This record gives sequence, structure tokens and C-alpha cells, in this order.
Amino acid sequence: MKEVVCVNLENDMDLILAHKRVMKLCELTGFSLIQQTSIATAVSEVARCAIDFGKSAELNLGICNSAGKRMLQAIIGDSRDFSPRCKDAIQYAKRLVDDVQVISGNKEFSIILRHQLSYGHTITDARLNAFIDYFKSEPPVSPYDELRRKNLLLQELAEKVQESENDFRVLTDSLPLMMLSANNGGTITYANKWLKDFFGQVPRDLTGISWQPLLHPGDYASFNKDVQNAFVNGETFTAQYRFVEKASDTYLWHIFSMIPLKNEKDIIIRWIGFIFDINAQKQIEQTLKDNRELKEIQKQLYENQAELQDKIIKLNRSNYELEQFAHLASHDLQEPLRKLLFYSDVLTTRYPDQVDDYGRTILHNMGAAVGRMKELINDLLSYSQLQKPNLSFAPVNLETLFQEIIRDLELPVRESGATIEYDELPTLQGNPIRLRQLFVNLVSNALKYSRKGIPPIIKVFSTKEDDHVSIHVRDNGIGFAEEYKEKIFGLFERLHTRDQFPGTGIGLSICRKIAELHHGSISAVSVPGDHAEFIVSFPLDQELTTQP
Amino acid sequence: MSNRNHIMFVDDDEEDRFIMLEYFRESGNESHIHFITNGQEALDYLESIPEDGNLPRLIVLDLNMPILNGTQTLFQLKRSRRFKDIPVIIFSTSENENEKRKCLSMGADDYLVKPASYNEGLKVVEKFTRFLEDVERNS
Repeated sequence: MKEVVCVNLENDMDLILAHKRVMKLCELTGFSLIQQTSIATAVSEVARCAIDFGKSAELNLGICNSAGKRMLQAIIGDSRDFSPRCKDAIQYAKRLVDDVQVISGNKEFSIILRHQLSYGHTITDARLNAFIDYFKSEPPVSPYDELRRKNLLLQELAEKVQESENDFRVLTDSLPLMMLSANNGGTITYANKWLKDFFGQVPRDLTGISWQPLLHPGDYASFNKDVQNAFVNGETFTAQYRFVEKASDTYLWHIFSMIPLKNEKDIIIRWIGFIFDINAQKQIEQTLKDNRELKEIQKQLYENQAELQDKIIKLNRSNYELEQFAHLASHDLQEPLRKLLFYSDVLTTRYPDQVDDYGRTILHNMGAAVGRMKELINDLLSYSQLQKPNLSFAPVNLETLFQEIIRDLELPVRESGATIEYDELPTLQGNPIRLRQLFVNLVSNALKYSRKGIPPIIKVFSTKEDDHVSIHVRDNGIGFAEEYKEKIFGLFERLHTRDQFPGTGIGLSICRKIAELHHGSISAVSVPGDHAEFIVSFPLDQELTTQP
Repeated sequence: MSNRNHIMFVDDDEEDRFIMLEYFRESGNESHIHFITNGQEALDYLESIPEDGNLPRLIVLDLNMPILNGTQTLFQLKRSRRFKDIPVIIFSTSENENEKRKCLSMGADDYLVKPASYNEGLKVVEKFTRFLEDVERNS
């Protein structure tokens, strides 16, 4: 049999539908209205019994060949044999159609009604197919039928959607990039496998704090802002962020892209997001950049080095010139002075009778002037020699050094009635000659700048702080005003007239230079008219013994 | 007699030569003083003395001299087999400790700073005299 249309037989609506379908097929196959009604009534009678007593009956309408005759055929089938309860209906049907057969199988049961088509009425396969199409697109017969039809359509569609969604899933999962889709509210409705694998989870929303643990701390704020802006502006955006890969717990650079999907009315219905790994590119970029910077730094370094070399050469030259100057000064400048001193002395000593008192005063003043000049040259020489930085260091016991200094200064100490006390002092790594020069200067100053009529008391002691050891030389002399505490270390700086205190103004400059050559420093504090204290500090690593 | 106290005084400074001569005279030192104005001349003179001739008893060397200075001369003297045993006293204006140490390490017997006063001058001559007496005693 060639089936044309099928009707489920479950309720009264189905019965009406079945009746209509039979009527229609009869009409299409050329039966007269009376015949149509007879056949439809016969089928309806049996169908009613199937609905009432069957389990899940079905009516199949079609055309068949039986003993060389073309016949319209209606098969009402069910899994349950309901024939004992519809004997009357079958009898009635037999009177209306050519043939009624009851076929009882193992699990299937059916009643077949046949009626021969009108003589000469041929039905080709093409027409049969046209019938099938007709019933498929048959306009709704009833609201129920309409509902049913739509339901079916929906089911079919759902199947198709399911199918295409599967296709989509397979497709997105096979692409090596992360994909997601989100609704207008930002809720993530779909995420592919790559995204789940990468993050180890799927965030609920595109906005909000769920992304915070998934992003580099430096990128989270801009990500959040960018995404929110995209939602507000409704425009595609692309940016680069570092996302955390769950498996390796490392930040990897990605391109993040959001594209709005719009309907035909240009309204955004959904957002599609892509996250694409660009860490390799980033690394290459960074490496190239680093390389460039490295080259730049290297170049800078070479330039600096060349400059330094140049400066060293110049410095060496000026050092050499300075040495030459020192040498010249030591001999050639001092030589005439020495002779001036000598001659004036010879005059006063050898010819005392020939020179009167006035002449002696003049000679004495000349001698004093020359003496000052000599002192000045010696101090300058001493200072210029300190410009040579290559001092040799050796352990210097400061206690021994001060013993020697006190012995050397015996005469001025005795004359001024001074007392010099020193505590336990450390042993330092330093240049013995220069350290001696430094402390001789400080002690000499303390002796020199004493108050009239008050014997100097000089105290030497050491203190220790975090990273340096300090030697203090404190007197009870005239001191100096606070404003001069830096000035006194300047070259040729003098606070007093020569009449008050003789000197060249170089002594403390030499002290500072020596302290600096020992990687240390010198400073001074004072209360004018009470005391002055000079503090020489050395780095702690230069101390060799620790005082108790 | 004169040979025994023969002093070779190498100094380019005419005034110093004059002063020293005066002092020697004044202090009664009867040494024969032979003045030479630079190191090269001194070496030339020493070379010109025949093998059996008398070498000076003492050489006094100034440091700052033209042509061949004091330290250069000292170096030449001390490397010469013939002259290395002649005592040398450095006589200089320089009070530089480094210079003094350098000269003594090169073999100078003493280092005297040129006098800046009448009394210092006398002391210097005294030292020369005493030194010559020591040399005499040891020879």
C-alpha cells in the first residue's frame, strides 16, 4: 500500500479528523459524495471502537492494489485486539465498503477496510505524491489540530536546533581559542571547552568581580571598564589582557574581543566573546624591545666609559702637574725664603753692634714675615700632596699615635699649661703619616685657640654608631659661632686676625681632605666662649679593634 | 793632610757655596772643599782621578741641580764599584720626609736640611766635622 496520510486515534477530535481525512481522500480519488460519506462512515464506525477500546490506535489511509484492482484502503491498527467489542461496527462497515478484514497478529491487530476506486479512474504515483503533499500542508481543520501540528513542528525544530547546537559545540570546541556568548545583561550563556579548561571554571557574568581572580591585578580594572563600556556603547571592542592559566598558574597575554549580535531590527540580542592567546608574540615583542633597550644601555655604557677614561687621563695629567708644582714649590719657592731668613739672622747674630734697635726690629719683622711665607708654602704643599689619592693603608693604633703627638707637642703643651687626656682609642686602618698630620692639626688648634688665662684641657675619646667610629677632640677654648661650623674647613678660611691667632687657614682643609681620603668625614660643634669639639668619623670596617 | 779632609761639595747654588765656605772657615774646620755645580761634573771629575789618586773623603750632594740631580748622582755613585764606598751626605732645602727616606734607602749616609738661621748653619758644619772624624776613625 502506498500510504497517503496517517491519523492517531486517541480522542473525539481524532475521530472528526479521521472522518474529514477519509472524506477528502475519497474526494481526491474520484468517489461521489454518497460514496465518500459511506466510506467515511464505515471507517469512522471502526475508528470509534478503536478509540473507545483500543490502546494506541492509528489510522493509515492509502491506495493499494488487490487482485488487479486499485482500491482505497484504510487500516486501523492497534497493539490490542479490540474486535470482540466492535462486532456491530464491523458488520455495519461490511455493508458500506467492498471489503473488511480483521487481521490478528502476535502483538499487532488491525482492521482493514477497502473500497474499489471508480472504474477508469487512474491514479499515478505523481498524483499520489501530490495527495501526500496536500495532506501535509492541509490547512488546519480545528484549533486542536492546529496546536498539534505546531507542536510537531516545534519538536522537529527543537531536534534541528539540538543538532545545530551540537554542530556549533563541536566546532567551537575544536577551535584553539576561547569563546563565550552572553546575553544583554552580561550573563554568560555559553562557553566552549577551551575556556573552561583554561580558567578551570566559567564565570557567571562578563561583568563583576568573578573575573578578578582570572586576570592580572594590573589588568582587572581596565578589563572591567572596557567590558562595561562595550555594553553601554554596543560596539565591538578588542583589547589585550593577561589572564591566569589555571593549570600553570601563570599570566598569559591574550586578545579579548567582544562582538554584538544584532537582529533584523538592529537590536543587540547577544554578545559573542573571543579570547585568543598571544603570549608568544608578546614575548617575542618584549624580547626584541629588551634587546633594543639593552643595546641602548650598552651604547650608553660605552660612551660613559670613554668619558670616564678621558676624565681619568685629564685627572692624571692634572695630578702630574700638581706634583710638579709641589716639587717646584718645595725647592724653588722655599729656597729664597730660607736665604732671607738666614741672612737676617746672620745680620742680627753676627753684627749685633752694627745694627741698632730699630734695625733689629725691622730684621725681626722680616724674619717673621718670611716665616709665615714658609709656613704657608709648607701647608699648601701638604694640601696639594693630598690630592694624590693613592694612600697606602696600615693599621694605626690611635693610642700610640696620641702618645707620640703629645710628646711632639711637649713644648707648646708645657708653655700653655695644657692637659691632654685620652680614653681608650681604637686601632684603625689608615695612613700613619696622614692620620698623624690630621690629629696634630686638631690638637695644635685646641692649644692655639685657648681662652686667655685658662689652661687648655683637651679630651680625646671615641664613640661608635651603626656604621662608623668617631674620634672626638674637645677643648675648653674660645670656640666659634654656629654659622662658621662649615666655613672653617674651607681653604684659606680664617676667623681671626693674624695678631690674635697666627695661621694660614689651610690646617682644617687638610684635616677634611685626610678624613675624606680615609673614606670618612670631619665636622665640628661649638659653644662660643666655652668649647669646640671636632669629630672625625671613619667607616666601621676600617676599625680593627673594638673598644670595650 | 789636605787630602785627608778632602770634601766634594756638589751644589749649583752659589750663595750656599759661599755660606758654607764661611761657616767652615769660622768653625775652624780645615777641610779642603772642592765645589762642583752639578752631578754630571762631579762624576766626570771623579772619573778623571787616576787609580792611585786620592778620592774625596766625603761627598755633599744637593738634590735640586741641573743636568744630573742629586738622586740621579747618588744612584750613579752607588752603582760604581770604585765610588760606592765614598760617604755621601744629602744637603737639601727640602724637609720632605719621603725624599729623605728615599735618599737614605738609596745608600746616602745622612740627610741634612740646609740651615735657615745662623745657629743652624753652625750645627750643620759641626755635623760635617763630626762625620769626617768618624770616617777617619773607621778607616
